[in-house]
Amino acid sequence: MKPRLWLAAFIVPLGLIIAAVPQNTTHPYKLSAPELLSEVNTRTQFITPETVADMIVKKDPVLQLIDVRSQDEFEKFSLTGAINIPLTDLLSDQNVDLFDQDVKMNVFYANSTLMANEAWMIIRQLGYTNIYVLEGGLNYWFDVILNPKQPSSTSSDEELARYDFRRSVSQALGGGPTLLENNENTASPAPRPAIKSIPKKKKAAGGC
Amino acid sequence: MQESKSAIKKTKYLNPYLGGVLLGLVLLAANFIAGRGLGASGAIKSTVVTIVTAVNSQVAESSGFVSEYLDTHGGSPMKNWLVFEMLGVLVGGFLSGALAGRLKWKVEHYPGITSRKRLFMALSGGILFGFGSQLGRGCTSGSALSGMAVLSLGGFITMMAIFGTAFALAYFFRRNWI
Amino acid sequence: MGPLAINEIISENTNFFLAFIIGIAFGFVLEASGFSSSRKLAGMFYGYDTVVLKVFFTGAITAMLGMLFFSLFDWIDLDLVYVNPTYLTSAITGGVIMGAGFIIGGYCPGTSFCGASIGKIDALIFIVGLFIGVSLFGAGFNWWNGMYMAKFLGSPKISEFFGLTDGVFALILILIALGMFRVAEWAEKKFPREEY
Repeated sequence: MKPRLWLAAFIVPLGLIIAAVPQNTTHPYKLSAPELLSEVNTRTQFITPETVADMIVKKDPVLQLIDVRSQDEFEKFSLTGAINIPLTDLLSDQNVDLFDQDVKMNVFYANSTLMANEAWMIIRQLGYTNIYVLEGGLNYWFDVILNPKQPSSTSSDEELARYDFRRSVSQALGGGPTLLENNENTASPAPRPAIKSIPKKKKAAGGC
Repeated sequence: MQESKSAIKKTKYLNPYLGGVLLGLVLLAANFIAGRGLGASGAIKSTVVTIVTAVNSQVAESSGFVSEYLDTHGGSPMKNWLVFEMLGVLVGGFLSGALAGRLKWKVEHYPGITSRKRLFMALSGGILFGFGSQLGRGCTSGSALSGMAVLSLGGFITMMAIFGTAFALAYFFRRNWI
Repeated sequence: MGPLAINEIISENTNFFLAFIIGIAFGFVLEASGFSSSRKLAGMFYGYDTVVLKVFFTGAITAMLGMLFFSLFDWIDLDLVYVNPTYLTSAITGGVIMGAGFIIGGYCPGTSFCGASIGKIDALIFIVGLFIGVSLFGAGFNWWNGMYMAKFLGSPKISEFFGLTDGVFALILILIALGMFRVAEWAEKKFPREEY
């Protein structure tokens, strides 16, 4: 009888405390500030529109575009295959599976780089990898891909090659009417970044 | 030698509440260190898998049981958390028994039945439990105790099923115990 | 920050070594509480010895409280801790079969190892039975594979199921357990038996 009462006296208050305290559901930031700063300084999160365009045209299954603007803006225009996660809904539970993986490349985009970069910073700090930002956003995309400006004849070969590539891709993506020329100088853009695989978290096999 | 006047003979066991708290602390340590709770039947499974693959690899490959296990566990099946844990259990139990003077080879049984009957019951019980533990994905330690501690619904259900059934069948087997 | 092994704060080998140490503690506590005796274990179901109830539930609530407090102090990440999955059909069927095994054999796997470690031959035979039972399951695996995998509900927590927070459920469980202990002690007074 006595030991039970001692037990009760000790455990019931603990139980009351734990019942009263709100559940700890913090998602801790996994990257330290210096780590994040070094990534931001080396600008590794950016992916060029050419690379993305190339992936779209080649129907690369690894690409996952994420539009962080509002639903209205998404419905007015969006990139092929993009899904819409408005910035306000970024941390909702249903999106965790999108980020916690090592199969697809998530590329945030918005009108400019601002909102996409904000999304990137938050998600990156939670420790997820394989996320990128579309350099220049849609504004740059329109300029560069859909209506590429013809470089002057004094531009470097690289510039010209890039221009040809953009034109060829623009055709495929519904850009302005330009004649598609078969041109060996069409240089593929820099190969897309490799998918970083996450080491499989050893979820302990328990139970038996 | 004067026998104790008390009609109820008592061996020295820990107060159950104290034992429970200590057990809870061990379980807590397991979860903190390894991210998993305690268990027992899994060690038997590992051993069976090891023996089967060693003896006849063809049977092992065609068995869904073995291949499912090997797929989810890299490396040698014996190099498994539970196997190490159960080895420790043997040592720990032995130490405790030694300290309390309870080490003795014997068949423990209710005086109303024979040793042979008891052994037969133990074997039958073991077979049932072994089978059931695989189906239930754990035994009382792994599923019920550890499952409860992490608030697992499956663990809770299994626990209710185990204890409920044992209570329900107790009447039919009472001659073996009381 | 726990769990140590999953956050790779300790190596896999250290983890296994600690498993051994934890096992020693586990075995010691079980044996010291009397779980090496099949008569004590079975006594639970006849009312004369409720050690199983007390140790089991006290252990469960201690560990539960411990983990919730650790999580509160950010010492453990509960998302990384293994939560047993729920396969409804096999959880119930397996539990029923185990219940039968328990009342017939008087042991469960963990306690049988304890019993065997102090020389209980019936415990050893029980372990032999365990091997046979597991092998039987493995042999016929393809027949009951369907049942084994049926009704997978993920890894829900009991608290989620009842729509409570973990803390509130823990409190309720504590109160229920204390209530059961009171009943248990009453039963023990009513059905006294020799201590095994």
